[in-house]
Amino acid sequence: MSLPSTPIQFGPARALVGLFHATGRPATVGALLCPPVSQTLMRTQRIYRQLATQLAERGIAALRFDYYGSGDSAGDSVELDWERCLADIATAAAELRERSGCREVIGFGAQLGGSLALAAAHRAGFSRLVLWDPILDGSAYVARLDTLQETLRCDPLHYAAPRRPEEVAGQWLGIPVSTRWRAQLEAWRAGPADIPSLILDSLPAEADHTWAPLQTAGARIEPMPHASDWLNLWRLEHAVLAPRLLNAAVAAMEQPA
Amino acid sequence: MNPSTERIHRFGRSQHLVGVVGQPAQGDAAAPGIIVLNTGLVHRVGPFRMHVELTRRLNALGYPTLRMDLSTMGDSGASAEAMTREDQVRADVRDAIELMRRETACTRFILLGLCRGAQSAHVAASTETGIAGVVFLDGFIYRTLGFRIRHYLPRLFQLRRWSGFLRRKVRQATATDAEPVSFGSVYPPRAQVRDEIGDMLRRGLQLYFLYSGGIGEQFNHPRQFGECYGRAIARHPALRMEILAGTDHTYTLVCDRERMYRHVEAWLLAAFPTTAGAAAENDAENDAEPAARRVAGSRQEPGR
Repeated sequence: MSLPSTPIQFGPARALVGLFHATGRPATVGALLCPPVSQTLMRTQRIYRQLATQLAERGIAALRFDYYGSGDSAGDSVELDWERCLADIATAAAELRERSGCREVIGFGAQLGGSLALAAAHRAGFSRLVLWDPILDGSAYVARLDTLQETLRCDPLHYAAPRRPEEVAGQWLGIPVSTRWRAQLEAWRAGPADIPSLILDSLPAEADHTWAPLQTAGARIEPMPHASDWLNLWRLEHAVLAPRLLNAAVAAMEQPA
Repeated sequence: MNPSTERIHRFGRSQHLVGVVGQPAQGDAAAPGIIVLNTGLVHRVGPFRMHVELTRRLNALGYPTLRMDLSTMGDSGASAEAMTREDQVRADVRDAIELMRRETACTRFILLGLCRGAQSAHVAASTETGIAGVVFLDGFIYRTLGFRIRHYLPRLFQLRRWSGFLRRKVRQATATDAEPVSFGSVYPPRAQVRDEIGDMLRRGLQLYFLYSGGIGEQFNHPRQFGECYGRAIARHPALRMEILAGTDHTYTLVCDRERMYRHVEAWLLAAFPTTAGAAAENDAENDAEPAARRVAGSRQEPGR
């Protein structure tokens, strides 16, 4: 039986909101669950909660949180900023260490949450990474989001008549996007991690499964059943359910470093 | 946004609920507290962060707010009580009211919800005390004879409709992941909902029904509201009904959300004025029409 999570506000001006999952006993290992952003954040909220709960039950303290400009944290959505997200991860990792007393912190993230965990790994002092379908090529991701946004504009299942281009501009799938965030995302190219990394690959069969440059640098790849199309216009608000992936993530984090 | 004006809480009879209380910069004893309930299964942040954006805007207009997760939704747990979902929603709303009374100066409350959230608001407002009004975003509405005539009759004679219908069917059949938007709610009998709305009005609640353009398969003309619930309800001075044509059900586009926010704000400011809201309206008069007048001017024909 797990303890209820503790809602917390932390960081500069207490601007970040999170839920701390305590273990009820001294924890040597903690897990920082770095969220994805925008509609993927909404879709993964439940599985992040389940993961944090299961980790805490197994003696791993966990912290879920929202970046500045996302979720419950302060800031408008348009203020989302890559560098600020990385700083928020470092702040959250320090908060997790202080609250749990853990010495080792594992970074976890799905999609862009995985990308951000990877980018912040050194700054946050992660000992290991568990990444679920991380985005490794920002420009390809931006192109995909642009295409989907245009599809949304003309989608008869959303709108009786196509929307004007200016009505859909400056946003991706429901979330306003600053030119800064767009440029930051476009410039993102994953480099090899210098800490042990596991990629949980739940992409569909036809997707690119090479995971370079992480795989070439020694990251372990664990194929998972296809959980969900991450960028699906007709599932923008559907929760992602992935019980096998949940078990695999917990098992990976339970293993000693 | 000043982050110090929002506080996340664990609360409730079993300390199982999670919600974020937002405080206006200046207290206003007359302002009701706005309690925002979950949309479908989406956690308290709301679709595309809608609940966060809306509650912060309402804070700026002087309204304390709570965006919360009902039992078992989002970050809230179960209360370990044996009760129906309806009774659970009512008990959760009572807990929310108690939290708001403790954290703010509010003595009366407005419930606000979209889709399932509107249905939860209806369930709670039907029985609970302390509730002064409800904002139903795509709340209960039933197909009527008028709906069917308006829906099907023109389609029979339009080649474009037939080709569009066939294209949609082909697309749905061939695209493995595309599926029609379905909200999967089981409605209670119409007579029950009508009677409960009537009872809310008799108890003095102010009701605002705002329908999106995304429920065209359910609602296709302002007149349908009167066909559905009767003239006495549709014409009641404490009830207002509007349609935001062209939008989708969850207000995916930023401009659609902005339209919805302005309508909700205008109704609130008209029905439950605040000092901060009046000041904002006065400021806005120098630049543009005030929100309440702007919305009233564009108001669609009510169901009369």
